Amino acid sequence: MSQEVVLRVKGLGKRFEGVCVLDGIDFELRAGEIVGLIGPGGCGKSVFVKLCCGLLTPDRGEIEVLGQSLRQLAEKDRQKLRTRIGLSFQNYALFDFMTVGENVAFPLAQDGAVAAPEIANRVQQRLNEVGLPLVAGLMPNELSGGMRKRVGLARATIANAELVFYDDPTAGLDPVTSSKIFNLIRDLQIAHRSSSIIVSHDVDRMRAVCDRYVLLYDCQVRFSGTADDALLSSDPIVHEFFQRDVGVDLSFRHDGGPA
Amino acid sequence: MIRRGLALLGSNFLQASEILGGVLLTLWRILRAMVPPRFDGPETWMNFYKVGVKSYPIVILTALFTGAIMVIQTGAYVRQTGATGLLGWGAGYAVLAEIGPVLIGLMFSGRVGANNTAELGTMKVTEQIDALRALAIDPMHHLVVPRFLAMVVMLVLLTALGDLFALIGGALTSELLLDVDYRVFFRGVFESQLLGEYYTGLAKAACFGGSISVVSCYYGLSVEGGATGVGRAVNGSVVTSAIGIFVFDYLITYLVNTRITG
Repeated sequence: MSQEVVLRVKGLGKRFEGVCVLDGIDFELRAGEIVGLIGPGGCGKSVFVKLCCGLLTPDRGEIEVLGQSLRQLAEKDRQKLRTRIGLSFQNYALFDFMTVGENVAFPLAQDGAVAAPEIANRVQQRLNEVGLPLVAGLMPNELSGGMRKRVGLARATIANAELVFYDDPTAGLDPVTSSKIFNLIRDLQIAHRSSSIIVSHDVDRMRAVCDRYVLLYDCQVRFSGTADDALLSSDPIVHEFFQRDVGVDLSFRHDGGPA
Repeated sequence: MIRRGLALLGSNFLQASEILGGVLLTLWRILRAMVPPRFDGPETWMNFYKVGVKSYPIVILTALFTGAIMVIQTGAYVRQTGATGLLGWGAGYAVLAEIGPVLIGLMFSGRVGANNTAELGTMKVTEQIDALRALAIDPMHHLVVPRFLAMVVMLVLLTALGDLFALIGGALTSELLLDVDYRVFFRGVFESQLLGEYYTGLAKAACFGGSISVVSCYYGLSVEGGATGVGRAVNGSVVTSAIGIFVFDYLITYLVNTRITG
């Protein structure tokens, strides 16, 4: 893993109609790193991702993506920067007026740098990788929720972006498919040396791919570190979160040490 | 009581100001996105088809009845006075300058404007707009500008088509119900030299098209919440578009008549 920082967040704050969602968030993601962003529902994980992609504007704080400060970029330059970023949405966000194949091909087709036959090949290859080899000609509304999720993942990764955000990529998927999705994320990271942030509640399966975890709680970063660090943490919230999700009994922490 | 009335007045004024500001801001963003001219070809053509080709049956139907109604309304007086030559002038003048563009505009707003708001609103609540931005596509260029162009151009063309069918409807009604020969009807139209009214009607249609597109896009892109939000936005879009049509109609009619009367 490189020491180059691809995402740097300093003192990030965001409120919606007076309600604090994020407050003073500091965060760094290094090149080639996969970080799992966890936390209770509604704690601002998706908002954090959207802020980092420039889809929302922070109330305060600085976000530096791939060496460029979002605050100082005009919308046109932000667009250029977004060609280097991938985002898989929590609610799929597939274009319902396009077929699945067109959806996945869309980033490449708009870019115009790749020839049509090559686009078709890459689309089919990516659909094979997410376990949907026969759906290119279907419309999104003909797919199940889990299938749409995988199509969204294929679209987010088709352009081999340097930085990819996966917003709850396995929500609603069965355990086998979830594991496959996490393995795919790991494979993509190795193949393209991309850096990723995975928002998920599935801490157990995330362990197979994530280098580090960040726990958002009560508008702030409650914990940042590896799974092993979490096991050693004395914070009852971290304790509870990892114990519940990882399935490791950490009750020894209450007794001051392992039994 | 007075305080409550004033509070209501103030809140309505603020709401109207917010809508007007939002609509003007949307217009500014559309115009800015069109300079330098850079259009999404396939999306623009698709919108021309959706907005124009799919709307012409309803426009023809509206126009046929509009022309017919104009003739029926004036028919009684024409029969009484025997001034059958005025039938074409009366119906032509009303249809070309006023009733045709306004009724076609209202029909267009209900069909195309409402559909546009619902489509953009649904895209907004299902994060498809965000997805476009995340894929480095400007929604203004990709979604809004093609719709704006399609609505302005197509409403002008549909009004031109509607004018023709309104006159046909008028001629048929005069022939079948009033026993006035359709040639007399058309002679009345052409001898009245209504070219000025025809162009005024088309200018109105261009303004109505612009107003419907900007209003419907503004409401669509500012949807909040789920299906309820989309429903509210469609409702607001149709009402505001209708107001826009009548305001532009008033302004253009006023300007044209001030110019004519000096």
